[in-house]
This record gives sequence, C-alpha cells and structure tokens, in this order.
Amino acid sequence: MVQLSRRQLLATAAATAAVSLAGCDGGDGEADAGDLDGNKAGAMDGFKVGDQFRATEPLTFSIMMLSNPNYPFKANWSFLAELTKRTNVSFEATAVPGSDYNQKRSVVVSAGDAPMIIPKTYHPDEEAFIAGGAILPVSDYAHLMPHYSDKVKRWNLRANLDTFSQQDGKYYLLPGLHEKPWLDYSLAMRTDILEKHSLPVPATWDEVTTTLRALRKAYPDRYPFSDRWSTPPQPGANNLIGILGTAHGTHAGWAYNSTTWDGAAGKFVLSGAMDQYRQMLRYLATLVSEKLLDPESFTQTDDNARQKFAAGKSFVISTNAQTLVSENRKDIAKIPGATVAKIPVPIGPMGATVPSESLLENGIMISKKARESKNFVAMMQFIDWLWYSDAGLMFSKWGIEGDTYTGNVEDGSFKLDPRVKWGGLNPSAPKDLQVDYGFFNGVFAYGGSTKMLNSQFSEEEKAFQAEMNKRTTREVPPPHPLSPEEREQAALWESTLKDHVFQQTLRFALGQRPLSEWDAYVAELRTKNMDQYVDLVNKAYQRFQEKK
Amino acid sequence: MVTAIRPSRGYRVFQAVNAVVLTVVVVVTLFPFVNIVARSFSGEREIRTGQVSVFPRGFNVTTYQHVMSDTMFWTNYRNTVVYTVVATAISLVLTTCYAYVLSKRQLKGRGLLVGIAVFTMFFNGGLIPNYVLISALGMRNTLWAIVLPNAVSVFNLLVMKAFFESLPVELEEAAAVDGTTTYGTLWRIVLPLSKAVLATMLLFYAVSFWNSWFAGFLYMDRQELFPVTVYLRNLIAGATAGSDQTTSSDTTLQIAAGIQAVTIVLTTLPILLVYPFIQRYFVSGVMLGAVKG
Repeated sequence: MVQLSRRQLLATAAATAAVSLAGCDGGDGEADAGDLDGNKAGAMDGFKVGDQFRATEPLTFSIMMLSNPNYPFKANWSFLAELTKRTNVSFEATAVPGSDYNQKRSVVVSAGDAPMIIPKTYHPDEEAFIAGGAILPVSDYAHLMPHYSDKVKRWNLRANLDTFSQQDGKYYLLPGLHEKPWLDYSLAMRTDILEKHSLPVPATWDEVTTTLRALRKAYPDRYPFSDRWSTPPQPGANNLIGILGTAHGTHAGWAYNSTTWDGAAGKFVLSGAMDQYRQMLRYLATLVSEKLLDPESFTQTDDNARQKFAAGKSFVISTNAQTLVSENRKDIAKIPGATVAKIPVPIGPMGATVPSESLLENGIMISKKARESKNFVAMMQFIDWLWYSDAGLMFSKWGIEGDTYTGNVEDGSFKLDPRVKWGGLNPSAPKDLQVDYGFFNGVFAYGGSTKMLNSQFSEEEKAFQAEMNKRTTREVPPPHPLSPEEREQAALWESTLKDHVFQQTLRFALGQRPLSEWDAYVAELRTKNMDQYVDLVNKAYQRFQEKK
Repeated sequence: MVTAIRPSRGYRVFQAVNAVVLTVVVVVTLFPFVNIVARSFSGEREIRTGQVSVFPRGFNVTTYQHVMSDTMFWTNYRNTVVYTVVATAISLVLTTCYAYVLSKRQLKGRGLLVGIAVFTMFFNGGLIPNYVLISALGMRNTLWAIVLPNAVSVFNLLVMKAFFESLPVELEEAAAVDGTTTYGTLWRIVLPLSKAVLATMLLFYAVSFWNSWFAGFLYMDRQELFPVTVYLRNLIAGATAGSDQTTSSDTTLQIAAGIQAVTIVLTTLPILLVYPFIQRYFVSGVMLGAVKG
C-alpha cells in the first residue's frame, strides 16, 4: 500500500516535471489528458450539451458521501434509484458523518484509499492533496464535460477558475458554478419603527448612520443597533464588519482575506493595512462613539443580541434569509405591530457593486485512481450531467417531475408537490424532500442558474435578490498560486498578521485606540513581516502572469 | 446521672465545617449534572434565555422523541454496547496476562517487555499509517478495527503490574508447593485476590470504549456500523450549525437547543448505572495500585 502511493508520488513528480519542461498552455490542457482510448468503456459517443447521459453498460462509481445530520444518508433513497434508472450508474458510497467529513477525507485521500469521486470540498482544501499526487488535475479533462465547459464559457467564469489554478497552471477541483453572485447576509431592520418615525429604508452606509442617529434621538436610552455573530477569531460583529469591508473595497470580518488586489497599483496589498480598511474603521468608530452601535456587539453571544432585539431594546441586527424567518421574525412576535425585513446590502464607497468571489461553490475532487479505470470517460460524462447540466441540477434539487414537483424554473411555473415538504414549503406534508427522497442534498444540489436558485426562495427573498442582481459584479482578482513551500512560509506569516489585524480592528472600532495611531499600527504590521508576505504573493502573481 | 462525654468545642466546629464543606462539594459536583438533565427536558425558549437551573422549565420531550424515533440511533446504540462489551473483555484478558507476566521479577527480558509497552506511550505510528495498516489487515468495517488497536492501555497495564507486584509472593509459592501450574496460580490464587483492580480496569476500559468515537468514525464506512457516539456527534454538529438554509421549523429549533443535554444524558446514563455496583471495588482498587506505582 505504502509502496503503491510512493510509486504514485514518483509518477506525479515525473509528470509534473514533464509538463513544466514542455511548457504550459494554461488552458483546459486537453493535451495533458493523455490517451483515453482505453478508458471509454460505458461512455457515450458524441456526448454534448443538452444530452441525457446514459452509460452504455451498468456502471458503479465509488463516492464519498457526506451524511448530513438533518437528512442522514439512506441507501434506499428514491434519488439513488431514479439516478440509476436514468443514467445506468449506481454509487458505492462511503458514508461519512458531516461533523468530521474533512478529517476522514484527509486520512482516506492521504492513505491512497479514496473513492473515485470526492465531493463537498471547499477551495483551497484541495491544495493539501496535490503534492501527494492523490488527486487529478481536473482541468485536463474539462473537454470531456460539455455542460461544464458551456457554463464556464457562457457565465464568464474563466477568470474565477484561474484563481483555483496551481503553479502548474492547472486546477484540481471542479467547483459548483453560479450564474450570478449570491449575497445572503445583510442587516435586518424593524420596519414598523422606521415607518413610525417616517424614516426611509437606508440604501447606503451613510444613510444607515443617518437612520441610526434619528433612532438614537427618538430613543435616547438605547443603542439602536446591537449586533451578533461575534465568534472569534475574527474581531466580532463579523457579518457587519464583513459587508462593511466589502462595501469599502477591502476584506474584513467574516470576509477577511489577507491580501486584496489593488487594481490601480497592479499589485496585491495587505487588507488590514489598506486605506480603505482605515476608512471602514473610522465608520465603525463613529457608530460606537455616537452610541449608535452597542459596543457589546463585538463580544456578546448571539442569544444576547437576539434578546435585545426581541425585547425592542435594539432595532437593527445582522441577518440572512433563513435567520430572518426562523429567528428575527419569531423573536419580535411578542411586540404588537412589530415587523422586520432584510434590507438590501447598503452601498459604500465601492458603489453598487458586488464581489465576484461567490460565483464558485464547493466542488468535486477526482481520485487519481479513477484515471486508470476503463470507465473514466463515462464517469466524467456522468459527473458533467449530474452536477452541471440543467436537467441534472433540476433532478438533484427538486426530484422527479410529476412526482415531487410540477412545472419548470425557466418560466417560473415551478411548484413543489403538496405531498412533499421542504424548508418552509408545505410544512404539514407527510414526506420530506431531503429526508425521505434524498433530493436537495448538499452533496449534489448546488450552483446553477439564477432562475434555478430563485426557485427555492420566498417572494420576499426573490425581491431582495432582484435588487442585488441589479448591481455590477466586480472584476476577479488575478491568481497568485504559491508553491507548497511558499504556502507553508506564507501561512506562518499570515496567521500572526491576521491575529494582529483582528485584535487591533476591535480596539480601533471600540475607540480604545485612536485612529491617529494608524501609522504606528501599520509599522507594527511591518515588524510582523507584512512586506515579506505581500512580496511573496506579488512574486507568485508575476510568475503566473509570465507563464500565461 | 451519667453524662456522656461531650465532644470538645474544637471537634464540634470541625464537624460543622466538615459538613458545610462536603455539602458544598456535593452540590458543586451534582449541580452540572442535574442542570443537564433539567435542560434536556426543557423548552427551547427557556433554554436559550437561561432560565433552567435545577428543574425543567417548559417541559418538552421533542428532542428525545426526535433522537429515539430514528432506528439508526438504536442500531448504533446496539453497536456501542457490542463494541464495548467485546472490547472490554478482550482488553481485560490481554492486560491481565501481560501485567501478570511483567510482575514476575525473575522473568528474563522483563525490562524489554516493559520498554516495548512504554515506548508506545510516547511514540505512535500516526494517523495515516495506522489507517493504512488497519485497511491492509482487512479489518475496516469490522468490529476488530475498534477492538484490537486499543486493546492494551499502557497506563492500565502499569497500574495492574504494580498491583500484582504488591501481592505477597509467599502466597504463590505456597500454591506452587501444593502443585498448581502457573495458570492455575493466576486463576485460583491471584485473580480472586485482585477483584479490586479488575473492577477498576473494567471500569476504565468500559468507559473509554463507551465514549470513544474516533476509531468507529475512521474505520467504519457504513452508517449501520457506527457507534452511537458518532451518530450523536453528527447530530450535534448539524443541529448547532443550523446553517442549512432549508431547515427552520420549530422542531429543529427545539432540537438545536436541547440536543447537547439530551445527548449527554443518553450516553452517560448506562455507564452511570454501572458505577454503584462496582464502586466499592473501584475506590480501593485505585488506591491499591497507586501505593507502589
């Protein structure tokens, strides 16, 4: 066993050397795919966009199956039976509890014992397995996947995929693809209070300040805004800081990313040292010093924040589509006449734009072993159909037409069958789409067109999404793939820098440290190897550009 | 008139202080457990707002129903019982034999045998090599993957060895004079005198196998083979993460609030019930090994 993986390692090393010698084309390296003649058993000839995949002989593919606690994996799901009926493919599933999926994946893949299909992997988790040679550079095989290639082309995702590229110019993860960025997190506001004081719903962060000031004036005894989601290591009020940072053109809070692309200067800079970051802190510090934002927002538990909102002691809190319905609305039910809504994400100095990062979802790794299978081509076609074709996505999401749903998502006539419940739909129905049928499973159903995504939203959320979709998508930052050794060094620098940024963010926001000390703060970051770290990233960026 | 000897003032003060301190200790140790039991039977709102202390508030058994209505829960519970019983039995036999041999000072190579055991306390093969080994031995998805790799705990082995060393050697010599074999001596003389340490080992092993989840998680690829700890761990992760945008009913909120308490009650109850029966051996057992250890 050990022998085998060592041999694999050598083979990969040799292959990588050969590739770098030959020079890299940076595209969907069809040339690197090798001879596939021996791997076509069961595959369809001339498989193209719009085709229903059906293996020419019964096939079985092994797969790592995340078992979600809310709908534990069942081998007798009608999803699996129907899948076999349509595609002639059945799964040999390794069921892994969702609680520790990543750990098992890591052991199994490293031990060279992984199933062929390894889904539910979030970039950059796949990078850990590349050096060991256990997973396949999937970009070499994109030509086997017509639906995938078509969507990448039509939805302009090439640049996004480039950010997944490694030093060899290839990527190793087949991500879920979104047509448009999907933003879910924003602020919830007590709309009845806004109406009572004739305040409009704020559209920009400046208007948010104005609204909060008016509320503070009307209720001088309380903080109008008391926030939640303050789990470390981030500085606290992580959603607020996250969307605020994005609005300012930097990365902060939940959305923290150590480096941000500075388009004007043509290089990467440390997010926490950017002028935009300082502006964001100034905004936060103002909210705190004017007593508009509860200073406990950064440290309190979610329950505390919810209690304040429920008791009418605060009127604004961070939310998403689900929390709005399941928590915020329920929490205020006791207050007569109280209403709450999720407001469109306020606009900041970056204008009405949304980041492009959310276009790619978690995805699939393919085990190196699968490449040797005589059914390899059929497997890639199968993956292409199930995860990337509209028909496959519709099937894994909503099930069987006429049985679990009627209509279609294209013209908006889609309707879940009344005997089936899902999320908040048909709550008293006898069967659950996920638990009993196995559809809408996070392992298979994600990504897809905006219309497909909208089919799962309430009218309220659809309106929110429509508003967000009016905004333009920002340009994707260029890739800067690091070598494994560089990655290790970068991780060391990054973690100390990150700690310092997070700690000081909180101090600046709370007014414990005046913003006049900003230069001193940047100097502190320098002593923690900021320049070396940023240089490393920029060198990687240039190297990638030259290769291209 | 006969007057009883009155305890001195100092002694009475001591008694009073003693009673108070011990009561405090009892309350402090018991309270968390009582609180957990109370929480497991309480309503979501009461748990979230921290109203529950000693008695359940807003009595509710939804979470219990949810957990116990799943047949997989019972399958996995049965697995845990089977794994624990088999593993404990094998561990006891192996540890006893190993420890007894090591307690014999005249044994040649004794130092090496002890060294081999102690070595594993400080160094091990690591996660992935272990996984490769178990796979190659064909033990994955079998009981043996859980039972064998952890069969001998070195700590337990050393405690037991110390205990056996403390037994008077004359007893065994007398038995030998009477003509018993080595195994006869172990079985008829040594083990009956070692109930205390055996009970202790039984408890140590049983509790550790009962609570263990990692081996089951790592080596089992099918849900019907998981121990209940893996099942509950997954349940907690799902209920407390709660970010799956599809689930947002009252039931799931109730479950999310009570799941940890319910889980603790369900997993600790059986093993707690064992304690009273072996308690008396347990106390003396731990002490006995310790003196010479």
